[in-house]
Amino acid sequence: MKSALIASLAVAFSTGVALAQELPQKDSKWFTDAQAKIQEMVARQPNTKRAKNVILFTADGNGVGTNYAIRLFSGQQAGGLGDDYVQPQEAFPNLALVKTYTTNGQTPDSAPTASAMNTGVKSKNTMINVDESVSVSDCAGMAGHELKTFAEIVSENGKSVGVISTARITHATPAGVYAKTVNRDWEDNSRLPEGCTNQKDIAAQLIDQMKAGVIDIALGGGRGHFIPAEVTDGEGKTGKRTDGQNLIEAAQANGAQYAWSDEDFAKLTLDGSPILGLFESSHMKYEADRSGEPSLAEMTAASIKSLQSNENGFYLSIEAGRVDHANHDGNGYRTLTDGKAFADAIALADELTNDEDTLIIVTADHEHAISFNGYCGRGSPITGLCYDIDDAGVKHTEEPLKGADGKPFTVIGFLNGVGSVLKEDKQWTGSRPELTNDEAMDKDYIQQALIPMSSETHSGEDVAVMAKGPWAHLFDGVIEQNYIFHVMNYAVNAE
Amino acid sequence: MDRRHFLLAALGLPAIAAAAPWPARADDTIRLRDLYNKDLSFSGYALEREGERVSISGYMAPPLKAESHFFVLTNRPLAVCPFCETEAQWPDDILAVYCKRVIEVISFNTRIVTRGKLELGTFTDPETGFVSRVRLADAVYERA
Ligand SMILES: [Zn+2]
Repeated sequence: MKSALIASLAVAFSTGVALAQELPQKDSKWFTDAQAKIQEMVARQPNTKRAKNVILFTADGNGVGTNYAIRLFSGQQAGGLGDDYVQPQEAFPNLALVKTYTTNGQTPDSAPTASAMNTGVKSKNTMINVDESVSVSDCAGMAGHELKTFAEIVSENGKSVGVISTARITHATPAGVYAKTVNRDWEDNSRLPEGCTNQKDIAAQLIDQMKAGVIDIALGGGRGHFIPAEVTDGEGKTGKRTDGQNLIEAAQANGAQYAWSDEDFAKLTLDGSPILGLFESSHMKYEADRSGEPSLAEMTAASIKSLQSNENGFYLSIEAGRVDHANHDGNGYRTLTDGKAFADAIALADELTNDEDTLIIVTADHEHAISFNGYCGRGSPITGLCYDIDDAGVKHTEEPLKGADGKPFTVIGFLNGVGSVLKEDKQWTGSRPELTNDEAMDKDYIQQALIPMSSETHSGEDVAVMAKGPWAHLFDGVIEQNYIFHVMNYAVNAE
Repeated sequence: MDRRHFLLAALGLPAIAAAAPWPARADDTIRLRDLYNKDLSFSGYALEREGERVSISGYMAPPLKAESHFFVLTNRPLAVCPFCETEAQWPDDILAVYCKRVIEVISFNTRIVTRGKLELGTFTDPETGFVSRVRLADAVYERA
């Protein structure tokens, strides 16, 4: 077997070399880089070991288009033209395209997408870890339709579980790790309908799962959903609970360490004991505005260090929750700065773990109505104007391209949202404003959009999944989103 | 100087009359974000100009109630995601604007410039219960 492999490698190499010798382009860097890639691919061996650890990275709303923009942004921040930049996850060996539709939504929201990845089946929009036969908000009808989560499965097998988000920890993507709810909005008891006894609110479910030993670490925002309305937190904000329960104190009474600021966070003991970190009353800050709270990379590193104390391994779900929010805001800059923070967390997780025993999966739950104009020359700033292609060179000319209205346009646009050029107080008419590159590159600039909406929407377009580690090669082709669970489950159980 | 404000003014785009005659000088307009440092403490500009009339650009959040003299200015148009939010979340870096007259609503995604007396310190609005850390009093405003 082994010698046959070596023989076939030798054939492949000699074919490549023979071909190269005959071609005038053989010394081009494009050519030699691609030849090196061929050799890497031919030599690649699948990892069929059992996965001790699984890390699932989700950047909310980071579809193929948004990921493309983050790549260019990161490359341009590093001083390059952008397009040739390689994000850490883009160097992973395995990739598939993911179909994100739900049982009733051509366009998904983040609840059923998280549910698909955590249970292995698709379900209805707005619902988390409840099967598709139940209607949204039907608390009475949900009994017996709750699904078992990947966290519960691996916890039974002795693994530790962590969940991190820069959004509220009760928001849909992180809630998919630990909660079962017929409505994603039931984040605290004040949202739960009167008489609903088949489920608790999402914050209460997190604390229950921590007490049950399913969830070992939870880091994110959403403090308000854990404290009563009468209580004011360390940042002067009141809680949202109307049942008088202080769930933070309940977690602490049960032995959890608690942190609410970057200073507290730095003092946590990372020994595998339970940790609850709630760094904002609502969502954590955008990376561009971050102050007084840990970064996604810092939360990732602390969690991995603590979870690694379990010799049976761990499952860690990490969400960059606000790539989505900045897209909803139509603000390219914050979408991309949060996307770069996501990539930094991935790089650190990769560094802190071993490819031999850790399956790292990087994906998104859905895409947005973000789109890209052309024909921009290379190096056109991804948050700025689209400049003309230089026929005599590489980098764009100094000439911004213009629409038929004689006005320049940005590389990024949105199909809908607050950036609409149609204004309510002008009877939904309007025209595109004049724009300079400096204005477009301002961190608060809202890219132009078409359909007026109070919030830009998700789209049903594909997202990518990129993976490395044990059984990462099971990701290939175009897959259903719920298949991601099955790869994780196969990898941790492989003989 | 706020380049955008200057540019739009120079282009002669329509500026609809606000509740009172417009007294602002275009060259002293700052952005709302210039009132705050990154850690949300007040900026040097805010501390220096407390009690003075200042000119600040931003966006009018959809008013909390009709027939109000009061609105909230935001740095960026206040997008709300019906799928993502159970209720509107106010950003931390906002400005409460108390006008001389009942406000005429301007679309939440149209940049405006407002001018009024800068007040710092926590204040709870007796009518709406809205808590603000920084305000403009006796304010006027217009489209940027
Ligand atoms: Zn969203």
